[in-house]
Amino acid sequence: MHCAPPFWSQWTRYDMSEAAPSPPAIRTIDVVKVFDGGLVRALDGVTMTVGRGEFVAVMGPSGSGKSTLLHLVAALDVPTSGTIIVSGRDLRSAGNERFRRTEVGLVFQLHNLLPHLNALENVEIAMFSNGLRYAQQRERARELLEAVGLAAKEKMTPPRLSGGERQRLAIARALANRPSIILADEPTGSLDSTAADRILALVRRIREERGVTIMLVTHDLHVAGAADRIMYMRDGRIVEDGAAAPHPPDRGGVAQDMRE
Amino acid sequence: MSFAALIARNVFTRKLRSSLTGFAVAIGIMTVVALGVLTHSLRQTAISVLRTGQADFTVAQKGVSDVLYSALDDSQVATIRSYPGEESVVGVLIAAVKLDANHPFFLELGMPPDQLAPFGVQVLSGTVYDANATDQIMLGYRAANDLHKTVGDPITVDTADFHIVGIYSVGNIFGDSASMLPLTTLQGLERKPGSVTLAFVKVKPGTDIPALRAKIEKDNPALATVRSESDFGRVDRNLGLLSAANVATTILALVIGAIGVMNTTVMSVFERTREFGVLRAVGWTRARLVGLVVGEAVLISLAGAAVGLAMGYVAIRLIERVPEVVGVLQPDYPVSIFGRALGIAFGMAFIGAIYHALRAALLEPMDALRHE
Repeated sequence: MHCAPPFWSQWTRYDMSEAAPSPPAIRTIDVVKVFDGGLVRALDGVTMTVGRGEFVAVMGPSGSGKSTLLHLVAALDVPTSGTIIVSGRDLRSAGNERFRRTEVGLVFQLHNLLPHLNALENVEIAMFSNGLRYAQQRERARELLEAVGLAAKEKMTPPRLSGGERQRLAIARALANRPSIILADEPTGSLDSTAADRILALVRRIREERGVTIMLVTHDLHVAGAADRIMYMRDGRIVEDGAAAPHPPDRGGVAQDMRE
Repeated sequence: MSFAALIARNVFTRKLRSSLTGFAVAIGIMTVVALGVLTHSLRQTAISVLRTGQADFTVAQKGVSDVLYSALDDSQVATIRSYPGEESVVGVLIAAVKLDANHPFFLELGMPPDQLAPFGVQVLSGTVYDANATDQIMLGYRAANDLHKTVGDPITVDTADFHIVGIYSVGNIFGDSASMLPLTTLQGLERKPGSVTLAFVKVKPGTDIPALRAKIEKDNPALATVRSESDFGRVDRNLGLLSAANVATTILALVIGAIGVMNTTVMSVFERTREFGVLRAVGWTRARLVGLVVGEAVLISLAGAAVGLAMGYVAIRLIERVPEVVGVLQPDYPVSIFGRALGIAFGMAFIGAIYHALRAALLEPMDALRHE
């Protein structure tokens, strides 16, 4: 039986087999972020690079700065100092609304879905201003819901969906504008292990078929193990950065931090 | 989902709040419409008095509180008659009396019988009254139909007994709903010997009417000439005051409605800050967010305006039945009043929503997302 390829396999903006080096998807240089007039130093000189198509997990204890880093990369906030370059674009320049709409897809721990809109409409609202006609938006939203396994629930509102389904819906919304980067903040944080595994499998499938860059913040070693690379943060700094292992080794301070 | 559908969905989702805000707008619009229609209709009724004679213009005493209180004496009418270019000048005494409970505002027009033809009176049945008859009266055909009277029937008007000698038409609803009797008879009944209320002037073809009016007013500072609706305030201050009250009410309605919309918008923006943060996070522009908030306010206001228009119509129909205004008020619903109501609804929405919409849009996405 012939099966049509998933729609995102048709996106060929990046050729992952290309041997020539390409600029990184994400690059931060000595990024500092302080809150409360300098009382809280959330990021303390973070310099890191994420390659195109790479799947990076960011781990660390609460207050280590991992979510702050993600928000800065998503242009939801601005650094106190330092440089952030995403998809070749310095985020200090103007026009970050368009950047958020076209370059990155965001997934939050608490979904942040609109409860009075149904699943289909929650995906569609992310496509306003992207130049698509209404019928095209609806068609793409349906494709995305099918891709995340929610085609049968397109008329259901978020309160009637399970936690895992809501997160899959949030992922569908993040993919609505065909971003090159997915930024996920604790996407499995509020899910049971079964639902978390399904989300993880979905993220990996999207990454493999689409080749998008994924930066995922998590507390969960199991989730982080699905990534190519794990960056470990503590006190606003990246203290470890290395390839992930299926069964993460005891990282000393890391294991202690996670137990905390 | 289209942007417009999202606006409608957001409004519909918050039914109670949207309904209460819409109702506040509706009350404001109802007031504006009812008072607007009332003022306009009263103005039209008053204008009808001046147009009864099919004259080119009317001369009245300047600055009286009500046009029916205008008083011109014989010498003033004679002076008006002396200007060249006039075809006829008919001095008419107008009195308003209560006929019965159903006819609290019944007009008597007093004029000499030889002036009836220049005034445009067409006798439909019977004959005209005698110049000095004290018991003869003519009824306009609308009044005759309304009172179920015909030629030869007796009628008592304000304690005076008459018998009807003729039924007439002047081609004007106001005049055809009134009565006519000899000028001297009405002057005696009203104790206004040698006095008329208005002088109706018809000019010869080719006469420069503005120049003639200007000359009459210049030579007679106590008189004012009226040709159009806009002139009317010069001879009827009551209507001018009513118009001013109408403007004041419109402004008040706008302010009260805007405060209602503002109250709703501020609560909505406060409660939905996180939602707005999500929309900004998925790439919504500030302008689109402002459009969403203002669009919701506009939709609520327009719905309130629709209800307010209906309520205003019902209010006017109820006012029509009040005995004191039966016969005075013939409701007229000009398009301008509905246009004004729509304008006010837009104004309420825009004024009430724009500030908080801008506040919502100016929030940084992360600040909005952190909002609890």
